[in-house]
Amino acid sequence: MSDTALAEKLVEIVGARFVLERESDLLVYNSDGLPGYRRKPRLAVFPGSREETVAVVRALAASGTSFVPRGAGTGLSGGALADDVVLLGLHRLKRVLSIDHENLRAVVEPGVVNLSLNRTVAPLGLLYAPDPSSEAACTIGGNIAENAGGPHCLKYGVTLNHVIAITAILPDGEIVVLGNPEGEIDGYDLRGAFVGSEGCFGVALDVTVRLTRKPAALRTMLADFVSVDDAARVTSAIIASGIVPAALEFMDSPTIKVVESSVYAAGYPADAAAVLLIEVDGTEAGVNADRDAIREICISGGARTVKVAQNDAERTRLWQGRKKAFGAMGRMAPHLVVQDAVIPRTKLAEVLARISRIAAEHRVTVCNVFHAGDGNLHPNIPYNADDPDEAARVHLSMGEIMRACVDAGGSITGEHGVGLDKIGYIELIFSPESLNAMCKLREVFDPDHRSNPGKVVPIHSCQEWRATPAGRSSEEHGELAGAAST
Amino acid sequence: MTASATLASEPSVAAQAVRDVIRNSFEQAAPLRISGGSNWLDAGRPVTAENNLSLAEHSGVIDYVPGDLTITVSAGATLREIERLTAEHGQWFPLDPHGSEDGTIGATIASGSFGPLAHSFGRARDLVLGVEFVTGDGKVVRGGGRVVKNVAGFDLVRLVTGSWGTIGAITEVTLRLYSRPPLPVSLALTVPDGQPALAHRIKSLLSLPSSPLAVELVDTEVAGLTGLPCNKTLLVALGGNRAAVAAQMDSIAALGGMTEIFPEVWRRLRVVDDIPAGSHPYDHPTPNIVLRVSALPARISDLWTTLEKAIEQIPGARMHATPGLGIARCILPPSAGFEGAHAVTEACLNTTIVCERMPRELWPLISPTVVGDKVSQRIKRAFDPRNILNPGILGR
Repeated sequence: MSDTALAEKLVEIVGARFVLERESDLLVYNSDGLPGYRRKPRLAVFPGSREETVAVVRALAASGTSFVPRGAGTGLSGGALADDVVLLGLHRLKRVLSIDHENLRAVVEPGVVNLSLNRTVAPLGLLYAPDPSSEAACTIGGNIAENAGGPHCLKYGVTLNHVIAITAILPDGEIVVLGNPEGEIDGYDLRGAFVGSEGCFGVALDVTVRLTRKPAALRTMLADFVSVDDAARVTSAIIASGIVPAALEFMDSPTIKVVESSVYAAGYPADAAAVLLIEVDGTEAGVNADRDAIREICISGGARTVKVAQNDAERTRLWQGRKKAFGAMGRMAPHLVVQDAVIPRTKLAEVLARISRIAAEHRVTVCNVFHAGDGNLHPNIPYNADDPDEAARVHLSMGEIMRACVDAGGSITGEHGVGLDKIGYIELIFSPESLNAMCKLREVFDPDHRSNPGKVVPIHSCQEWRATPAGRSSEEHGELAGAAST
Repeated sequence: MTASATLASEPSVAAQAVRDVIRNSFEQAAPLRISGGSNWLDAGRPVTAENNLSLAEHSGVIDYVPGDLTITVSAGATLREIERLTAEHGQWFPLDPHGSEDGTIGATIASGSFGPLAHSFGRARDLVLGVEFVTGDGKVVRGGGRVVKNVAGFDLVRLVTGSWGTIGAITEVTLRLYSRPPLPVSLALTVPDGQPALAHRIKSLLSLPSSPLAVELVDTEVAGLTGLPCNKTLLVALGGNRAAVAAQMDSIAALGGMTEIFPEVWRRLRVVDDIPAGSHPYDHPTPNIVLRVSALPARISDLWTTLEKAIEQIPGARMHATPGLGIARCILPPSAGFEGAHAVTEACLNTTIVCERMPRELWPLISPTVVGDKVSQRIKRAFDPRNILNPGILGR
């Protein structure tokens, strides 16, 4: 179908206002939350209701058109970019359909913003636990696509652990219910397979999420260190002690400095080599005991001070610095590469030291700000992509850091997803047979790869597996470095 | 013990052996009965298979770094062995499925089994970090990894967990461990008669600002078999630091009718299916009928009251429930037969009924299949194209 004919068909469904065709109108959709990649959609369509979404997906199916589902576009893996295919924006589907206080669940449309759901349920003493740092903008549908995490996932688990059921439309237009909104799942856990499928399995129409009671008491602490190594070892010691903090976040000196010089200044000691932001929750009596135990571990592990937030305003301020750290890095340079590797928690000190050596060798600045309790690193590098020499050094560093994390027994992504950005690394951790199995799973939901084509698993892994000469993957991924430096 | 450099490494020793068996069966299109400790062969729909593929001999620990709170084991490792190893480091794998502790971890994950601790720790799907399995066409596949947070690739871990071996034979798993809570305390709460009183009791307990490890409701029969006085009882397990446990006990005590009980009750509860009143555990000639009925958690007292009536005339019938999850589990003696199972399913319309165990002739009548939908059918064809892995155990 020609672009014009397709656009006409879509305009019939959603109205002319909600179909974008002109290059200037589409410009804003050429990027997502990860600067460095640009892809131009063929056109963009924004249905305003479930019925319109179903009709759009069916129209796309009828014409064999590929598409990319997109929420708020805050993702950090290039996963929401549409490369000459239709961009299907779902942010208008933003109704909270029901809240069941008694059974601790809510049914929401995919475009509901994470923080907006939390604000809606807060007066009932409830919360939706997964809290990605982009919570003020990101949508539940996007969270499901990426299996999003966040600081409090250390104790409460990631999106996967908070999704009960999903009504989805498959790329062929069929509507299916995955999971069981009112009881156990008998048979395959199709809901589990769908969460984290990065938009490759179809489009969620509504989602039943689990809500959590707000803890009775919280204690938020900031421990500061003159040595990165000490902060890393204290993190491992807290985890090994058996206390499960609600959150345990790490920020190093470059991150502290940029946060403190921004509008998000949180009062972190500017001369510290690292700070740990630690939160415990539970009963009033229990959190005091945990606070004391953690303070003791921090002090005996070399912390200079341990400051406890005395009220909500202090707590909010401590958290603001952490949650806005990525944004604050915008002050340092026009571009930022964001990594998301995960390592075993006993390897923190060792891997951070290796990252620091890699940074020194390639003369780049790494800002470490991450979910230390989970071992989920975010070594970010602010840089100027217009300087080819610097861009080349940044990309060499990122590759070496990724390999260091994989060598430590880790994973290439903990919460941001593979998308476009990490597709070149996935063969570091999965064999051709495993990747082929993932393709088969994708093809169960989307036999023609029409939903978010070209993401997550390299296309060559989807051919029936056979022994291939070593080195093929590196040639095929030459695009990565080029794309990321644009 | 150290982790291998990358997960893309060679298949495990167990996987290589299993791959050879499965490839052979694939060539001949000869179905396989996959088993672990062979403790639960009477669970699930009957399987007709020429050969048995036992994972029991592959039982080693691959990797255990206590500081990471993760463990990687071969599928044949028993729950007892995992318990023993982790306890040495003050840790545990908080999944306490019903059945023998000689059950293997592979079978536990494959069957998606769980017990009372699911109230706070979730089920198998929430605790498994990585898997290695061999598909029906003999491919060795890994999903997930060895770290506690991971979104790399599509989620084969959730796919294979609870799939009863029909997608692949699990050869290795990586599990999330927790520190064993200090000061474990077990409590019993009396339960008044009548549905409204039961509803009120459960609601009062579950809405306290506390976070019990487990909350389980047992009927008079189960209470007796676990060594408690023969009364309907709410069991509560607590754990944590001294102050947290004391505060939680105080708030529960304020509800009235609380006594502290011996923690052995939880261990006995795990094998309560298999005690045919008065004789030795496991000494049962034919399978019991075990049905799990689930609905929205707030309906649990309704469900419980309905089920009590449905099974009150069946001698030896017993039940317990996990109110926080909205699940009631009914255990009927073999003599209850179709009438017994039917009484449960008829009483509980508009609920989900998961059948754990039944005599073979009951399956086609009560629960012929749970994989009849299009997506499940495609999954089965993609991963087991010749239908040789536990064929029929989930139905057609």
